[in-house]
Amino acid sequence: MNVERVVFGFFIILTLSLNVAFVSGGSGAAPHHNVWILTLAIIVNLVAIGLKLGDRSQTGALLLASGLVAGLLLITARIVWIVADPAGGGAPPAVDMADIVAIATGALVANTLATLILVGDTLLARR
Amino acid sequence: MTQTSDLDRVTMIVLRYMRRPLFALLFVYSVGIMGMALMPGRVVDGETTRMNLFHAFYFFTYTATTTGFGELPDGFSDEQRLWTIFCLYTGVIAWFYALGSVIGLFQNPHFNQAMEGFRFARKVERNVDPFVILCGFGDTGSLLARGLSDHRMRAVILDVDPERIKALYVRDYSVAMPGLCADAGAPKQLLAAGVEHPACRALVALTNDDDTNLKIAVMARHMNPHLRVICRSTSARHEANLKALDSVTVVDPFEIFATLVYWAIDRPALHNLNAWLVGAQGVKLGVPVQVPPGDWILCGYGRMGHWLRDSLEAHGVGVRIIDPEVAAEEPQTGHTRSLVVEAHADQAALVAAGIDDAAGVIAATDRDADNLSTLLSVTALNPAAFRIVRHNSHENQLAFDAASADLVLQHSLTTARRILKLLISPLVQELIDWLAARDPVETQALVTRLQAAVGTQAPHLWSVRLVAAQAPAVSEWLQAGESLALGALLRDARAFPDRLPCEALAVRRAGRAVMLPGSEFSLCQDDELLFCSGHGVESMLQATLHNPYTLRYVLTGVDMPSGYLFAWLERRRRRGDDASAHDGSHRQ
Repeated sequence: MNVERVVFGFFIILTLSLNVAFVSGGSGAAPHHNVWILTLAIIVNLVAIGLKLGDRSQTGALLLASGLVAGLLLITARIVWIVADPAGGGAPPAVDMADIVAIATGALVANTLATLILVGDTLLARR
Repeated sequence: MTQTSDLDRVTMIVLRYMRRPLFALLFVYSVGIMGMALMPGRVVDGETTRMNLFHAFYFFTYTATTTGFGELPDGFSDEQRLWTIFCLYTGVIAWFYALGSVIGLFQNPHFNQAMEGFRFARKVERNVDPFVILCGFGDTGSLLARGLSDHRMRAVILDVDPERIKALYVRDYSVAMPGLCADAGAPKQLLAAGVEHPACRALVALTNDDDTNLKIAVMARHMNPHLRVICRSTSARHEANLKALDSVTVVDPFEIFATLVYWAIDRPALHNLNAWLVGAQGVKLGVPVQVPPGDWILCGYGRMGHWLRDSLEAHGVGVRIIDPEVAAEEPQTGHTRSLVVEAHADQAALVAAGIDDAAGVIAATDRDADNLSTLLSVTALNPAAFRIVRHNSHENQLAFDAASADLVLQHSLTTARRILKLLISPLVQELIDWLAARDPVETQALVTRLQAAVGTQAPHLWSVRLVAAQAPAVSEWLQAGESLALGALLRDARAFPDRLPCEALAVRRAGRAVMLPGSEFSLCQDDELLFCSGHGVESMLQATLHNPYTLRYVLTGVDMPSGYLFAWLERRRRRGDDASAHDGSHRQ
């Protein structure tokens, strides 16, 4: 068992789970989406990116790329939230909420891909 | 005189053919359009209208091509209608004449030949993948093309016989193999085939005529001195000529055939290994042919027969000869101790040659029917005799399959295989020659090793050069100044420290070849390694060659951290270990 694989796998799968937790629910309905979950997903995703820095293998490069895509989209979603809800107290209007959830769903695709690559690579290594 | 290319020739032919039809069209169009513009039209408001030149051209275009939209843009007067009739007939006839000329041009054999030459040269010029020029597409040539296609190597094919080139077009090769019906002895055709092309790897001269082969080899050598040339030759005079040229390899089908027969008789294990490595059908590694000891009867004493006799007698195998025309030349050769029967190889001749106590018969005439009938006689007279038969024409394949001789050798096939080995994996041939020059025990040892590694599968031969493009991880490792043993590289990453079922047959370093390197053999940058394994092993070893982490794991057995963070933690931990070890030693 490789400690690095455990730690990296933990962060990648946690990002995916948090992303799903944020996206699930009606897309325009503000009460279904929690800003804290989105923020946490961004932080965990950034940690996963940091762990992959310095890997020289081909799968490492692909994982880094998918992590960067997911990070970019999640941060964009968070910025849209800030712009749509300057007061910070309540929730953004339904139109903006739909945009935020759509962008976060895009990030979900990248995170799913990263998890699939990780699982595939581990299974192929067979050791 | 200026040089002309195929494109210039095509353009010239088109222009010459189309000159008259184009002038005819121009003349008819000019007369028709001007006449139409001059014809008085309908009278509108007391004034005669006329068609302007553009409308006249529009009208003529749709009339002459029989499209016929009607009376556009306005209705016609009777004068105009009269002129329309003239325009219609002359225009249509001019067009028929022009189209007929074009069709005639496409059926002109000279034009087609020029077009084919032009297309062929363009196809070769635009090709970027490595390719081989193949001159002569007979039995050997087509077998070689098939072999090259199996190895995904392209070939450019020249043959003088249009039927052979037509046969080429209906083959299902895995890569593009452009062919041209042309005399390969002409430098212009060699140039079109890409003798000077940077991706051209070699030229193979395989025509049936030795003079043509010599000519091709010499021409190619002059046009591109660095190009590798492999030339088929059966005459001693030509061979002496060709061997004087460096970078030319001479392949003599008779010599190859004779060597194989000698191996089958005297070195069965080597013959078996060679046949297995080249992928001969029905050959199992470690199950060589069982050849009885004794004298051999050689039926047919032509060029092939001479080679066979020299090769066998040089190694102490007795030969008895049956040939109807042997006596005339026998005194000159100086051989006197062989028994010679001057007859066709029928039953009486075989009995006279002592078939009862002979080890076997080599039916080696250049006529398949004679060889097959000799086989039947031998089976009737002495069923225990070993039967080696020469198979000449590819067409008789089924008869030879049915004849169930102990060993069938087809010289076009053996030649094609030899050339293929020279082109695709020259190290294999060097290894076989190396083993042939050594004690048979070494062959047996290699066979045992290969049996353990590959088992009953078909062999998969592949080579790797330790350069950044083919083995980035290994190249990086060696550049860092670390040493790398062959045995360590071949470990299985899935089951460390077991070895992959794979044998390194040879290593080429700086032009010199090291055969059968041991597991302690230290590898260097730029080495070329030849491996033999079963299927699926190559991808495992490729992973080791490409992935620095896998390489480090198979070398050390330790999974190194890949990210910066864990690499830093690892360094810290190791420094901590070193420090505490240091403390411990102090305290003692």
